[in-house]
Amino acid sequence: MPGQLTSPYLVADLAEPALRRCLALAPVLFGVSLLVFALTAVALGDPARAMLGQRGDPELVQQIRREYALDAPLHVRYLTWMGRLLQGDLGTSYHQQRPVAEVIAERLPATARLALAATAAAVALGVLAGIAAALRPGSLLDHLLMTTAVIGISTPVFWLGMMLSLLFAVWLGWLPVSGYGDGAWANLVLPALTLGAIHTGTIARLARSSLLEVVRQEYVQTARAKGLGEAWVIGKHALRNALIPVVTVIGIGLADLLVGAPLTETVFAWPGLGRMLVAAVGQRDLPVVMGAVLVFAVIYVGANLLVDLACMTIDPRIRRRGR
Amino acid sequence: MTRRLVTMLLILAVVCPTQAAAQKRGGTLRAAFGADPPTLDPAQATDTTSSAVIRQLFDTLVELDERLEPRPALAERWTVSPDQRLYTFWLRPGARFHNGRVMTAADVKFSFERAARGKRPWVFEKLAGAREHIRGASGGISGVRVVDDRTVALQLDRPFAPFLSLMAYDAASIVPGEETQRLGPAFASRPVGSGAFRLREWVRDDRVVLEAFPNHFRGAPWLDRIVFRVIPAEITRFNEYRTGHLDVSDIPTGHCRAVKADPAFKGHVAVWPTLGTQALRFNVEKPPFGDSRVRLAVAQAIDPAAVVDGLLEGCVIAGKGILPPALPGHNPGVTAPGGDRARARRLLAEAGYPDGRGLPPIPYHFNTGDLNQRIAEWLQAQLKEIGLRLELRRLDWAAHIKVVDEGGAAMFRQGWIADYPDPENFLTVLFHSRNVGAAGNTGRYRSPELDRRLDEADAMPPGPARFRRYHEAEQRILGDGAWITLYHYSSRALIRPAVKGLERSPLSSAPEMLAPLRKVWLE
Repeated sequence: MPGQLTSPYLVADLAEPALRRCLALAPVLFGVSLLVFALTAVALGDPARAMLGQRGDPELVQQIRREYALDAPLHVRYLTWMGRLLQGDLGTSYHQQRPVAEVIAERLPATARLALAATAAAVALGVLAGIAAALRPGSLLDHLLMTTAVIGISTPVFWLGMMLSLLFAVWLGWLPVSGYGDGAWANLVLPALTLGAIHTGTIARLARSSLLEVVRQEYVQTARAKGLGEAWVIGKHALRNALIPVVTVIGIGLADLLVGAPLTETVFAWPGLGRMLVAAVGQRDLPVVMGAVLVFAVIYVGANLLVDLACMTIDPRIRRRGR
Repeated sequence: MTRRLVTMLLILAVVCPTQAAAQKRGGTLRAAFGADPPTLDPAQATDTTSSAVIRQLFDTLVELDERLEPRPALAERWTVSPDQRLYTFWLRPGARFHNGRVMTAADVKFSFERAARGKRPWVFEKLAGAREHIRGASGGISGVRVVDDRTVALQLDRPFAPFLSLMAYDAASIVPGEETQRLGPAFASRPVGSGAFRLREWVRDDRVVLEAFPNHFRGAPWLDRIVFRVIPAEITRFNEYRTGHLDVSDIPTGHCRAVKADPAFKGHVAVWPTLGTQALRFNVEKPPFGDSRVRLAVAQAIDPAAVVDGLLEGCVIAGKGILPPALPGHNPGVTAPGGDRARARRLLAEAGYPDGRGLPPIPYHFNTGDLNQRIAEWLQAQLKEIGLRLELRRLDWAAHIKVVDEGGAAMFRQGWIADYPDPENFLTVLFHSRNVGAAGNTGRYRSPELDRRLDEADAMPPGPARFRRYHEAEQRILGDGAWITLYHYSSRALIRPAVKGLERSPLSSAPEMLAPLRKVWLE
């Protein structure tokens, strides 16, 4: 049976591409690190001077440059950084004087929580809206849902966040205005909806168009001709195939959200990776920037791998093509 | 004697009858920062957010009151030698660190020597032998001498009138050496001071929570706790205040007039002058600004009052001088060119650029920020009236200071907030030729005559004569068009009426920087 999850071939089918992707990670990370290092090196601004606030003693600036080896040639600095990285050391933050790994690890739970919640909201709302619209194409409901989806995609996150906050927190008082709230669910609702809005719209539109295409296929018509109920036809036969492109979008979207969402995090004072990275760039805290970008690259590659594996699990034809 | 005592008690009763009766113990003060403090180590901090927390966690030998006068803190008294070079401090008996150990004069020496090799060495460089120590050429500062457990003597290289203000600066906080050694760099995250509050919790990018230190030498503070939330967007801070989740907040840019007029905030709004100035500056080494007539033409072409009334809704202080009105030594009679376009055109013509002809577009550098952008656009429109074309160059802060420090910007925005309340911190730092570049003189202005006057003023004993010398220097700078003041800063805050005892010090560059919070109680 196509897509049988218990297939004895499944693990072997998935292991090979997974291994290939993991091996491909090394050159990707190397390329990313080289690119980011070069970009931070040519970016205007001196990390040593940025550390000293409004009044920078020139002698101290030079001393800090020496201390952090900022006066060393670029290739020496890169090789030093890479050497430490190979020993598992991401370096020390210039501004916080703490290991970069610690700085990033502190923000990861908040970021992951928000990304997962936003993705869950986007998938639930998007897929449902897409199915509802596809079942009655051209109806008022279809137009209403798809217009809402376009609004969700095109509304600036910053503005949407402020409006939601004004409505649900300031005027109605139902939810907190901002903050992590020690992980309270109430604090998660508005940031997740705001962050998920774009993905909700994208998923809804994609689910609709994909489902419309699938329901026209012969095997769906055959299922209907066999007298199967509409819910069974859609749920069992059509949706499974229609979801393949949606899964791809969900996976990449999750990766997008996991690398931080500075605007949403700013509006809702969410202590995530996006805000951290923006602040580090502003302060020219290069070790944090480099460390964060590397972690992001790993997340992206990992998310892509998971998407591929998910698609292969759903559709065995992709597995066979991959061989 | 008895009559004097009775009179004093009567005055006290008239001045603060309700305050004494109403002080209540307990409660949590909720305020917010726009950014997470990078460090809580006094030796490493360079930003106002870190300083705001450090001021609650640590004590200094002296502190400045609301009128910026030095008052006893860890030092119960001090003397100054007749030559103004020797300061002797007597420490309070029994002042303890948060780890329970009694503070001694040796801690003062250790703290100063440690901080001098930190990020703000200039706080200590007036001490004899400090420069050698900062450079690493000596193992200590010879000018800091432990006389006995409770007495420390500080010897200066030469007289420096605002020295006591430096000793009140948070970089000069006293730290327990054993804790800095035990914790190493982690001291910045787990600070141990002697302040009225100690660190309870620091969740990065979310909140800093302080709790009362019951064994503070002044006794436990009124508040049980202070929660500083980290909320980057000013509109979010405002909404948190509106919904009752903050007790103190700033007023968002562009909302000042509306908030003041809103009956819901009646009794909440506080606006007070602080020690900062926003200005336009020229690099006098870059043409055409080497010619004072061009600089003066720019000064005459603009009317800073329009910025104050229009862009800033009258919520800052208009002013002509470099020194802000809240600064001791400010000259209310200072004059500066401005608001005379006919004169501006004449000056340009005299410089060889009639109606701006012959001048290429002038790059104007400023750092990112909504207000800075609007000021730049306003400036562009104003100067167009006399034929000067401005090209706006917006950079983020790190890039902006690099360009400006290295002399790459011909005309640029400069804001300056006093580190300590003295004209020296503005005029000498910003205009003395020894400070050209990152040290403060970003305009690269060089005048031997001005240097001489500033050196004399810096070394004079405190008093009106010294201030007069600074007034002359300030007038000279403004008359030469080396600096154009746009406005002086003010702190614009929303403070809940239940919050009592919150000092509105001119040194509080933002509402959340209000200090000291040990005096605050909640009604």
